[in-house]
Amino acid sequence: MRKTMALALAALLLVSVGGRALAATTLLETGSTLLYPLMNLWVADYQKVHGDVQITTQGTGSGTGISQAISGVAQIGASDAYMSDAQRTQNHMLNIPLAISAQQINYNVPGLNNVHLNLSGPVLAGIYSGTIQYWDDAQIKAINKQYAGKLTHNQIVPIHRAEGSGDTFIFTQYLSKSTPSWATGPGFGTAITWPSVGNAVGATGNPGMVQTCQNTQYSIAYIGVSFLTQTEKAGLGYAALQNQAGQFVLPTGSTISAAAKALDSKTPADEVLSLIFAPGSDSYPIVNYEYAIVNPQQSDPGKAAELKKFLEWILDENGGQSEKYLNAVHFLPLPASILKLSKAQVAQIK
Amino acid sequence: MDLVVGDAAKAASPAALQRPVAQIGLRVLTGIAAFLSFAIIFLMLFFLIAYAYPAIRFNGLAFFIDPIWNIGNQYGSGVTTRNGFSGAPGASFGALVFIYGSVITAILTMVVAVPLSLMVALALVFRVPRRIRPLANALVELMAGVPSVVYGLWGLVVLVPWIGRQFAPFVTAHFGFIPFLGGQAGSGNGLAASVFILALMVIPIMVATTRDVILAQSPAIFEASMALGSSTWQAMTRAVLPSVRSGVVASILLAFGRALGETMAVLMVCGAAVNVFPQNIFSPVNTIAAVIVSQLESALTDATGMAQRSLAELACALFVITLLVNIAARTIMRNADRREGRAA
Repeated sequence: MRKTMALALAALLLVSVGGRALAATTLLETGSTLLYPLMNLWVADYQKVHGDVQITTQGTGSGTGISQAISGVAQIGASDAYMSDAQRTQNHMLNIPLAISAQQINYNVPGLNNVHLNLSGPVLAGIYSGTIQYWDDAQIKAINKQYAGKLTHNQIVPIHRAEGSGDTFIFTQYLSKSTPSWATGPGFGTAITWPSVGNAVGATGNPGMVQTCQNTQYSIAYIGVSFLTQTEKAGLGYAALQNQAGQFVLPTGSTISAAAKALDSKTPADEVLSLIFAPGSDSYPIVNYEYAIVNPQQSDPGKAAELKKFLEWILDENGGQSEKYLNAVHFLPLPASILKLSKAQVAQIK
Repeated sequence: MDLVVGDAAKAASPAALQRPVAQIGLRVLTGIAAFLSFAIIFLMLFFLIAYAYPAIRFNGLAFFIDPIWNIGNQYGSGVTTRNGFSGAPGASFGALVFIYGSVITAILTMVVAVPLSLMVALALVFRVPRRIRPLANALVELMAGVPSVVYGLWGLVVLVPWIGRQFAPFVTAHFGFIPFLGGQAGSGNGLAASVFILALMVIPIMVATTRDVILAQSPAIFEASMALGSSTWQAMTRAVLPSVRSGVVASILLAFGRALGETMAVLMVCGAAVNVFPQNIFSPVNTIAAVIVSQLESALTDATGMAQRSLAELACALFVITLLVNIAARTIMRNADRREGRAA
């Protein structure tokens, strides 16, 4: 009997705690695992000054983010990729850039992990479609003359994401834009039909990519730039990539923002634009907007107001765009002209 | 007199009334429970098939014979239409690689796990000293209770690097002449890692169930056999095991189902091969259960919804495979019993 009473009391307590949370306006953010750490930094600080709103964050993957924003379960669906035309014609959703991210090409080649190999879209496409199988392939040597002696006859293990992923989207978009045969073949998307390469490995999540690349000698992987600290700790090398102008550039703050700046005047009002393979000799080729997918017609006016306030704060130079948040995950702030477009989209939320 | 009888009736009535009510109540409750267990399975299958129906029409027979799983160009324009149902442009869903992967991992797991489990169960009952038996039993039960994701993590961090760096190069170098063992050593993620992990997960289940049926049935059979002059090995394999055969088969079925359906641990170590069959036991593979989890995320972005429905069709396929395995095992059992003149 006393046990039952105690249980009942505990249940009551749980309900009352839950009840208190429900008293404030609640927002749910769910989706991209790449944006998730940054979202947590944002939400923690935002809630310190806005105690009247309760924001829950979830790292569930971009696809889940988009579908739950459409169904109305979540107010913000975080996605590394903008929605496809087919999806946007079915559901009118805003695609609002919140920050700029990039992707590194990592490799585990004994003796070369402390230097930066040069890699290009066509070479990567060759590796991931099985036409380039060894590290001493003539095409790899041709763009790495200074390391030609160190590139040995060892088989390359291409690692790709096992599950659907925004990282796969931007990586395969780079291959598609730089290599015509990839564009007409596997193409790009959050999950694609990978060519049949016998020793290719699928890994789950960016942490799984880091782990598998570290475990597997002579492997190559594409990993979000927010995992830079982890890839360095794992002792992986990262490549300088060939951009549209033919230059090999490393992912740095200046080359990533150069790519964003090269395209900011071309960004349309709905901000659905790929930053991949941007023009300009300094532009890093795999750069993308991190999106908030938001339904402009919110069902609850109270939530709509809080949602707008939170998104406006994220898009504020002194708020969410400040370096103390973005540097922590190696993201970059949006250029002023893009901030303006994003704010205009936020203003459409009702 | 009447009064007395009335009083007696009155006095007896609460208990007398309670019993039938309780009995009827119990009967109704168990009836509902029994009905529900059928109804739930039936409804699940029904909704799954109903949901997957467009995919079944769209994919046709190619689903079972085509090794290429292509969700189509999500960012392309137009749709691909077959039999009146549409998928993303270029979409075609062939599940042969995953069906093959599921079946081969489960079978190889059984090849590793069944003999080991039987020996461990026999040892636990007949050979392990009485004093440490409770400890050994507790360890087996503990292993059965470890969440699968823990096995998966251990597999990813410890087992996969070991296979990739030591085990696979050794085996391919020295036993490469045996089919399915030669060729590329690979990265460690693959069929061998999946089978190891699955064996670790199903062995405790099989040991626990087999041990219990042996304990319930056979100490006397064992002793009788020994008394007739057989060796310990003969007593165990010729007398004890045949006497508990149906229990053993049941535990194998349970384990086979677990191996077919295990998702997370396999996904973490299998190497998630797509569109390619394993060349040897170290090649990356993929199973139906792992594919459903790993592809769901991108399937959600398919505007036509065909990718999601094709995943549901995969789930149906897994359901059917499990059912077929069950039926096959039961048929084998019944035939074996009939041969020996026993009732099924």
